[in-house]
Amino acid sequence: MRVVIAEDAAILRDGLVQLLTDRGHDVVAAVSDGDALRAAVAEHDPDVAVVDIRMPPSFTDEGLRAAIAIRHERPAVGVLVFSQWVETRYAAELLAGSSSGVGYLLKDRVADVSEFVEALTRVAAGGTALDPEVVRQLLGASRRRDAIATLTPREREVLGLMAEGRTNGAIARQLVVSDRAVEKHVANIFTKLDLPPSGEDHRRVLAVLRYLD
Amino acid sequence: MTDTTPTAWRVFLRAPVSGWTWRGLAYLIVCAPLAFAGFWAVGICLMFGALFAITFLGLPLIAVTVLGGRRLGQLQRTLGRSMVGARVDDPPPFRRRPGLFGWLGSALKDATGWRGLAYLVVKGPVAMVGAFGAGLLWIESILLLTYPVWWSIFDVTNKDSHGVKHHSEVQFGNFYFDTWPKAVLLSAVGLVAVFLAPWPIRGLVALDGVLMRWLLGPTQSDQRVHELERTRAHAVDDSAAALRRIERDLHDGTQARLIALAMNLGQAKETLDAAGDSSRVRELVGGAHESAKDAIAELRDLVRGIHPPVLDQGLDAALATLAARSTVPVDVQVRVPVRPSPAIETIAYFCVAELLTNVARHSGATRATLDVRERHDTLRLQVRDDGGGGARIGAGTGLTGLAERVRTVDGRLSVDSPDGGPTTVTVELPVAS
Repeated sequence: MRVVIAEDAAILRDGLVQLLTDRGHDVVAAVSDGDALRAAVAEHDPDVAVVDIRMPPSFTDEGLRAAIAIRHERPAVGVLVFSQWVETRYAAELLAGSSSGVGYLLKDRVADVSEFVEALTRVAAGGTALDPEVVRQLLGASRRRDAIATLTPREREVLGLMAEGRTNGAIARQLVVSDRAVEKHVANIFTKLDLPPSGEDHRRVLAVLRYLD
Repeated sequence: MTDTTPTAWRVFLRAPVSGWTWRGLAYLIVCAPLAFAGFWAVGICLMFGALFAITFLGLPLIAVTVLGGRRLGQLQRTLGRSMVGARVDDPPPFRRRPGLFGWLGSALKDATGWRGLAYLVVKGPVAMVGAFGAGLLWIESILLLTYPVWWSIFDVTNKDSHGVKHHSEVQFGNFYFDTWPKAVLLSAVGLVAVFLAPWPIRGLVALDGVLMRWLLGPTQSDQRVHELERTRAHAVDDSAAALRRIERDLHDGTQARLIALAMNLGQAKETLDAAGDSSRVRELVGGAHESAKDAIAELRDLVRGIHPPVLDQGLDAALATLAARSTVPVDVQVRVPVRPSPAIETIAYFCVAELLTNVARHSGATRATLDVRERHDTLRLQVRDDGGGGARIGAGTGLTGLAERVRTVDGRLSVDSPDGGPTTVTVELPVAS
């Protein structure tokens, strides 16, 4: 997997390069601001870009702006935004349009190395990776809490994992239940929330996110 | 001393033709009708206001009069500054408390307005008599100065009590100015009068200047309050900037290091796992990994309490995130077209955070609304919930601390929470600290 990293803290940038290289991925560029990120993506056409939201010069959301621009200009490049914070506004802006090849994780998640690399791989392949915290906030900000309240606790758990971008198989492993059980929960959720059934994982995530918005 | 004498003489000799004198005269003439009208308007309004004070009309009438006193004071200061260069500073602007009764109370207690009215009352008679006297003095002195001219042109005669004819227009008792030497003498008197006439004008303008500084300028305590407000605003902004800097330093330094540390420990743990290690080392590394992750989460909460970074995006983004994090569903409306100062945004953010926490913890509500809007340079935050009510300032709900914090920028917090609910907490903040 060919990766571009944009992170202004040198210690984290070097750590990420090391981590991904150790696992056999190809870090083609590691930069420290939004403009350099867009230039690097244009030059290397990577599979995925890891983008810190807060970078120079203004230290507010230039990473997010660059990420949105990249998603617009090069839909084929996966974008994994990561940040010290989770803000619903950012999530909404990032997910506007499409949920394929996009991720939004708290920086903490790199501590669980394998899960992080798995999420990155998912995004590179056109999937979705949302931080549980992001999903919790989307659920919290949703205007349709009444409908969500009709779900059983287990169904809500499955809905959350679905929104994070997990496949049925991954959800089954996480909850330690059978694939069949997960499929049944998913079907119930789609019925209760009146969502159109959808086979593909990322379209399923999109449907859920649309619903939550 | 020797060189000041010619200067003083020059000032004296040039006084009748100096622009200053004529501007002063024009000023007195312009002020006279204004003072006249103001004097009577104040009297009539206050009288009717007092008469009707027991009805609903009286107090508003007095309030309007007081604010009118402010306006007329402003007009008077502008006139004084532009026409005669009066040196008088503006008093503090009118501060109204919200609501009709707030406005009424603020207006009735507005010292600047009352002092403006006092100025009109004192100024009225002075201005009318003064303008009349000063004008008359000028006209008289010019008439005397030019006496020989019109005495010779209009050959006027009048008879005294004995029936004797005199060629004279001016007389003192039985003394008639009917010959050329006498006419020239009178003209000389007029000449002296012309040089003296500017000084009453100057005197009146100076007196008015003193009155203005006394009644239309800021009082000493106004100036002191202004100074204190300025330094306090500075302190508030300073501390907001300092907190933001601390947050930035933590973000760039400590947090980044902790994450790198957790990442390394994570890698170490997975390497040991892959090697099938189940020794004490694996256990220690696993523990360190968990601790590092906890430290990151704790530091994040800590930093959020210092200065939430999302505030850099504006209040609406920050409040949307706050509401989304709340366990009680919150409907959010934020209408703030102009960004308040950073210190005010921070206070607003923490107020909402605290209020939403209260809703979740104490109210037993199932729904809450957050309404934030800006009007008349006031930022109003309102949190309503459908819970059990009974919230009081000082009842240990953190509302007391919140009210204190709001007061540091002249804001107000009010609670409406009857037993049985619903509860509405309103916070009002000035948009600039």
